[in-house]
Amino acid sequence: MSAAAADAATPALLSVEAVSAGYGGATVIDGVSLAISQGEILTVLGKNGMGKTTLMKTIMGFVKAQAGRITLAGEEVTRRPPHAMARAGVAYAPQEFTIFQDLTVEENLRVGVPDDRTFAERVDSLADVFPRMLERLKQRAGTLSGGEQKMLIMSRAVLAQPRLMLIDEISEGLQPTMIDRMAEVLRATRERNGTAVLLVEQHLSFALSVADRFAVLKLGQIVEQGPAGDPGAASVLVHHLKV
Amino acid sequence: MANLALDMITTSAILFVVASGLMIILGVMKLINFAHGAFLTLGGYAAYLTTEAGLSPWLAPLLAGAVGFGVGIVVERVIVRPLYHRPLDAILATWGLGIIIGQLITIGFGREVQFAASPMTGTLDLGGIEYSAYRLTLTAVALAIGGALTALLYLTRFGLNARAVIMNETLARGLGIDSARVRLLTFGLGAGLACGAGALITPLLSVDPNMGLPWLVNSFMLVLVSGVSIPSLALASLILGSAQVAVSSYISPIIGGLTIVVLAAVLLRLYPKGLGRGT
Amino acid sequence: MARDTSEAAPGSSVTRRVRRTVLIGAAVAAVVVATAPFQLDIYTKNILIRAFFLAALAMTVDVLWGYTGILTFGQSAFFGIGAYACALVATHYGFGPFWFAGSFLLALLAAVAVAWLIGWLAFYHGASPLYASIVTLALPIVLVQLIFAGGRFTGSSSGISAFPTYYWAFETWFWIAGGYLIAVTALGYLLVSSDFGRLLVAIRENEERCAYLGIPVSRIKILLMMAAGAIGAGAGFGYAAFTNVVAPELGGFLLGTELLIFTALGGRGTLIGPVLGTIGIDVTASYLSGSLPFLWKLITGVAFVVVIVLLPQGLIPILGKGLRRLWPFPRAAARDAVVLRGFEPTTPHGETRSAPLRTADLLRHYGSLKVLDGIAIESRGSELLSIVGPNGAGKTTLMRCISDGGERSGGEVYVNGTEIGRGSPQSVVALGIGRSFQNTNLFETLTVGECLMLARWRIDGASLFSRRNEVALPTPALGILEATGLDKALGTETRNLSHGQKRGLELAMVLATEPSVLLLDEPTAGLTKAERTAIGSVLTSLARVHGLSILLIEHDLDFVRDISDRIVVLHQGALLMEGTVEEVIASDLVKAVYSGQAVETAS
Repeated sequence: MSAAAADAATPALLSVEAVSAGYGGATVIDGVSLAISQGEILTVLGKNGMGKTTLMKTIMGFVKAQAGRITLAGEEVTRRPPHAMARAGVAYAPQEFTIFQDLTVEENLRVGVPDDRTFAERVDSLADVFPRMLERLKQRAGTLSGGEQKMLIMSRAVLAQPRLMLIDEISEGLQPTMIDRMAEVLRATRERNGTAVLLVEQHLSFALSVADRFAVLKLGQIVEQGPAGDPGAASVLVHHLKV
Repeated sequence: MANLALDMITTSAILFVVASGLMIILGVMKLINFAHGAFLTLGGYAAYLTTEAGLSPWLAPLLAGAVGFGVGIVVERVIVRPLYHRPLDAILATWGLGIIIGQLITIGFGREVQFAASPMTGTLDLGGIEYSAYRLTLTAVALAIGGALTALLYLTRFGLNARAVIMNETLARGLGIDSARVRLLTFGLGAGLACGAGALITPLLSVDPNMGLPWLVNSFMLVLVSGVSIPSLALASLILGSAQVAVSSYISPIIGGLTIVVLAAVLLRLYPKGLGRGT
Repeated sequence: MARDTSEAAPGSSVTRRVRRTVLIGAAVAAVVVATAPFQLDIYTKNILIRAFFLAALAMTVDVLWGYTGILTFGQSAFFGIGAYACALVATHYGFGPFWFAGSFLLALLAAVAVAWLIGWLAFYHGASPLYASIVTLALPIVLVQLIFAGGRFTGSSSGISAFPTYYWAFETWFWIAGGYLIAVTALGYLLVSSDFGRLLVAIRENEERCAYLGIPVSRIKILLMMAAGAIGAGAGFGYAAFTNVVAPELGGFLLGTELLIFTALGGRGTLIGPVLGTIGIDVTASYLSGSLPFLWKLITGVAFVVVIVLLPQGLIPILGKGLRRLWPFPRAAARDAVVLRGFEPTTPHGETRSAPLRTADLLRHYGSLKVLDGIAIESRGSELLSIVGPNGAGKTTLMRCISDGGERSGGEVYVNGTEIGRGSPQSVVALGIGRSFQNTNLFETLTVGECLMLARWRIDGASLFSRRNEVALPTPALGILEATGLDKALGTETRNLSHGQKRGLELAMVLATEPSVLLLDEPTAGLTKAERTAIGSVLTSLARVHGLSILLIEHDLDFVRDISDRIVVLHQGALLMEGTVEEVIASDLVKAVYSGQAVETAS
């Protein structure tokens, strides 16, 4: 029972217990259990079609869990609608349909921050991490380059000052320097706000450099878990991701 | 000639006012509200009751708008929400709702034509041309409504949320926007606008249980041609409204009544996305 | 290779059962219609004659809306056209057997012509269902205005009355109206129960997918509209000849929406439901509207909304369930066991000089966003070409631009040497393209066997009034079915299949269209290792043995490496590199683009 590991130390911020979910009659994730404590970064690795995105969507409430239980800070949130999850402090950075193309950069950021009074202040804080976003505030988001769009997605998640971030393949299609920047931002956010992160990735070195722990999702089930810093982790993972 | 131009402008303004409520609902909810005609009628009767009660006719559109908002909220909860994933059925259900409203009005007021008092009569002198003061006022009201809707959409949090839902509902929900609430308020707003518009047009016409029907079809056509955008609805109203006035004056009023429907069907065949999206 | 099923195979058992039901049903109805006039008073006969003609019209609404998914507000217009053809000819030109028959013919021709025009406007490829509804809504409005504009010729708003007609006895008119209703309903029932009827349901459920199977969806809808228009005009003609009065309301928008109410309350997609619903509601309305005119309309309005919201299947099916307990007659959708028969496909274009697929300077932009920028690729016969690249590289857009002439913003696509122009998907399919999709939304309520029949439509056609029980498939398609166990599940509705089986069916359907170029969008996503291996070997043999040219989008680079002959790498809409598997895997450029992903999976 993998969830048991989390019980030992601090109580989990997010706990996923034996959750199954899918579309129509099909089950895509099958009895997945995992837990993330406050300030922890967990990366879920796996190849395409293994259920990583479905796992995120189920936590977020876009896909209804068929079985199992999800709690956030001890409160049951299974099958809660997405907007309620977002308001409970979960920021979701999906892989597809990620920005509002026809809204400006500023409006895109504002949608993610319900509090209008502190918005200006929060936007200013971007100067440290993504100064380029500040230059483009009035620009239509659809005209941003691919890398800039990823920055926008990450900025929006950070500005929400969430308890938990769910981030789906942020590294895909990014240049190595940008990937490093993303890693920095994740670490800084964790330092500043104690934000926990669930990071779904295919990019092995990026994921292992940021995360505290890893889990491997294969055909809808968690087949391996461990600390990311473990020297043997990489070879174990290469084995899993290859087949 | 100047009179014709004024006819074109004021007719377009009236069309814009009448269609705006339908457009708001279509934009945010992707729903064609077939009860739009009945809401217009409801507004007409609200205006009739207002003036019958001895209140100022200027109050009529505001009261009608409030009634429409209330009715819209209830209708959204009971009829529209369960059909959110069956858009064609939602069209039918709102049409059924239109029948219900129409029959309730018939039972309450009878089928005969009634008249509501006009807030103003007579003409204004525009540099030598005498023109109906009320029609000119309506044009100003149309501009005000257009401005207010634009401000609502672009300057408020509700507007931002609504635009986010229009563009990508899934993402909006993921970022904490309660799209069900946005839809509820939008339907209320659209119904309120429709009732208000019904009250605004009654001084030009009479009130009867079917008064909304001819406007319903023209409103659809305008909204479908314009797409969801306030400036393009204004543009579509101006083009199609002017064409209607021109055909009515030069060819025949009966054919004039067809202009909007036929032109819109052809325009949509040529530019399926409507004027708003360009070509 | 016998493809003519009408003679070779005797009618399937479902066909026989359906025909027997129609025969018994029609006979019972005929007896009722024949004897009823002697039991009924004049008033009831009068109402029923009108209700019969309206029911025939409602039946056409159900075929269009309930079965095919075309929400039409304009079926009343055809009724009006028929009625006015009768009245106008009799009033202005002449009356007699020849004039009468001539005006009937004129009614049908006018209706068919108008239906063709409406269909042409409303059913082009890519038209939204809403637009079609709007056009059908405009039709009665335009018709009524034209009648108004017709002045004394059309009688304007007061209509035409007291024109010469046959003053036959009420019994005779009752038999004519009843007979017409029975005949067209029987015809409609045979149609919706046939293979063609399943095709209509498939169009309702997934029009896009039908187009990509080479089914000329627009043409079918237009033809259907024309047939429905003719039947409606016939009813309108009969009604006018009987009542001797025509008014613009007969062709009006309100009658059009009333027909939808009749159909919805009776039960859409049941054919009999709308017919009985129309008769029931219209007769009740005639009796009640005298005493409770407004209340009755209010009640129908409320019932309509309640049924739409809570009982989308209508009222008659609920009654039907009760009846079926007493006498189990077959549903229109009853299924036969389907038998598969394999045949060896002819190798496509083995010796042709032109490449099976070639694109030149292919361009696709959405506004200012360039999704594809000058793509030039060429595929060869007997070759498996993989297209790889990160998400958003434009891979799926490329497939879309190749398979639908309306998609690209610029450039050319040649399929077997022919430029596709602005052709719709079905015309591109006819040139030899077969495309599978990333998502597996098939036709939910169709069975596996019916899906396969659908896929064979372009080549084998579909019978209008009967059901086949045999499908001839090229052996590769059969192979896929056997590998995924689908050959044992031919009677299963596709929504009940596993994910792997859905993928298998998708691929088998595409192969059943006998393409020479196969476009596959992630055919192995979400499949188990065993299923992937099976599909991989099928694909390899399709290319090697059957000479197909296969274009494959895949994320799984191991899979790509195992089966590809050549790889094309897309990045941000541009062609980054093209080469053999070894060249691409070794390329530093590609490694950079994949920023780690390719390196790791290859290490």
